[in-house]
Amino acid sequence: MAILQVNGVHKDFSGLQVLTGVDFEVGEKERFSVIGPNGAGKTTLFNIISGKFRPSAGQVIFEGRDISSLPTYARARLGMARSFQITNIFQRLSALDNILAGVRSRVGLRHHLLRRPHHDRDLMERSEEILERVGLADQRHTPAQELAYGQQRALEMGVTLSLEPKLVLLDEPTAGMSRQETEEAISMIRRVTRETACVIIEHDMNVVFSLADRISVLHYGVMLACGTPEEIRADQRVKDAYLGEEEA
Amino acid sequence: MMASQKAMLHRVGLALALALLLVMPWLLGSYQLRLFTEAVIFSLYAVSYNMLLGYAGLLSFGHAMFFGWGAFSFAVALNHFPGIPLMGAVMLAVASTTVIGLVVGVLLLRVKGTPFALLTLAFNALVFAIGIKWHSVTGGDDGLSIATPALNLGFTDLVVSSGPNFYYFTLVIVGAAIAFAWYFTRTAMGQSVLLIRENEERMRFLGYNTNVSRLILFVLSGALAGLAGSFYAILNSFVSLDAVSIEMTTKVLLMTFIGGTGQFLGPVAGAFFFTYVQNFLSDLTDNWPLIMGALFIAMVLWVPGGLAGLAAKLSGGRKDDDPDGTLAGME
Ligand SMILES: Nc1ncnc2c1ncn2[C@@H]1O[C@H](COP(=O)(O)OP(=O)(O)OP(=O)(O)O)[C@@H](O)[C@H]1O
Ligand SMILES: [Mg+2]
Repeated sequence: MAILQVNGVHKDFSGLQVLTGVDFEVGEKERFSVIGPNGAGKTTLFNIISGKFRPSAGQVIFEGRDISSLPTYARARLGMARSFQITNIFQRLSALDNILAGVRSRVGLRHHLLRRPHHDRDLMERSEEILERVGLADQRHTPAQELAYGQQRALEMGVTLSLEPKLVLLDEPTAGMSRQETEEAISMIRRVTRETACVIIEHDMNVVFSLADRISVLHYGVMLACGTPEEIRADQRVKDAYLGEEEA
Repeated sequence: MMASQKAMLHRVGLALALALLLVMPWLLGSYQLRLFTEAVIFSLYAVSYNMLLGYAGLLSFGHAMFFGWGAFSFAVALNHFPGIPLMGAVMLAVASTTVIGLVVGVLLLRVKGTPFALLTLAFNALVFAIGIKWHSVTGGDDGLSIATPALNLGFTDLVVSSGPNFYYFTLVIVGAAIAFAWYFTRTAMGQSVLLIRENEERMRFLGYNTNVSRLILFVLSGALAGLAGSFYAILNSFVSLDAVSIEMTTKVLLMTFIGGTGQFLGPVAGAFFFTYVQNFLSDLTDNWPLIMGALFIAMVLWVPGGLAGLAAKLSGGRKDDDPDGTLAGME
């Protein structure tokens, strides 16, 4: 069964037609990648799936349920988490506190007036575990703003994973990283999404082709093509429209 | 310094402060003790205000509506339910302030920044207008005098309306509320408030309904202000419209800014400073608000961290780039 279905999604921003009928499905443990040129509407698509924007038309179905009109926080509670293209973390808080925010939300400890999350062994252990997974265990007490760029990107990923989501939406997780950092990020993403569904937006073809089970190409507001990495590599339309320039 | 040593030092400091508070009635004459008690009450008022301003970054111009609502509903409870126990009246006052906080808070749920500030001002004016017009209940311009009943302790009834007994009564109840406000900053809810101020959008993507968080905080801060208000009523054995006036809102703003929004004890320092300086100045001149205003301007311009920030800087303690201090308090 598909965990995520996007049906005929349209989005226009006061006249500017960004998405004009996007359809796709993501399987329960599938790694699905969305590629496309700058301004193709990839981030907009994530904003619609995660609830930041409402689609102008069409639906988003999560685990068989139409969530098109649910607010962001309700979608997060259903088990969907996203990362951001531009790092969007709690800058003045420690790496650990960044992670703890999601870890305690996962168990519903959001508004309790008496319980103190820092005194909850279980939550602290889980947070440490996630820090370790993204390679920041040694930086647990460092304020996010003092981390190096690559580490901030890792923390961005950690905050996303802190919800222990069933579906992870990653918006250009390796943007701005060095070769080496990118390689590390790829193997980390592979590790942490083994048991979850994942949608990855990427520009780096190396990342896409080494991670994705299936790839779709967003072009002028529609999915130009969708298939396995081999199929996409071989697709003439994709070559003409997109890959051509990069591989030339 | 080692963390454990620091914790030890904190504990010793806390114990000394508590001991000092307990022996106050022996150190101060009755006039001075009353002034000191007033400062404790205003400390809670300012601490509750700083939950909005310092922790959530919400500038409210309407905090007196809660302070005044607490004072009036306490007086009304005493006058309309003869025989009501003292704590019953206090609890009724806090409960009704909670309800008002909820009503106003729901209407303000979606607004922040300037619209929030202006709407709180408008609600404060509205509550003030109710106070004037609803003469039969509030006494209008005449206010309400109250006879504070004795506190039933089970084995004995204790008159707590003035003197050392009132001081200790205030210290226990108001002190507990201040202690709770401090504890609150470490709770899940308190931490969520900090995180939301830091990055509200990300919090929403992490499953937090941030409007609800703001509402809970608003109601809580209002309820604590209402508690302060009912003690203010006992202090004066009287409630007048001054308790719910814009001046009372300005007062808490001045206290909090002068004391410093960045640290928990800032507003407490501000409340003491304000109470004593006002007392001193108003003996000298009727123009004391002018001097207070000038002082406020000077503080905002040259000492943005307030008294608490100044103290921290002088003792070479906390780094300056954490204007909240609260972040540093997190483990
Ligand atoms: N909130 C918005 N209001 C108006 N226009 C928007 C908004 N968000 C995005 N757009 C427009 O929609 C188009 C697609 O933007 P989007 O950010 O989704 O592209 P993208 O595929 O993520 O690009 P990139 O690869 O550069 O990240 C752009 O033309 C952008 O200007
Ligand atoms: Mg984008």
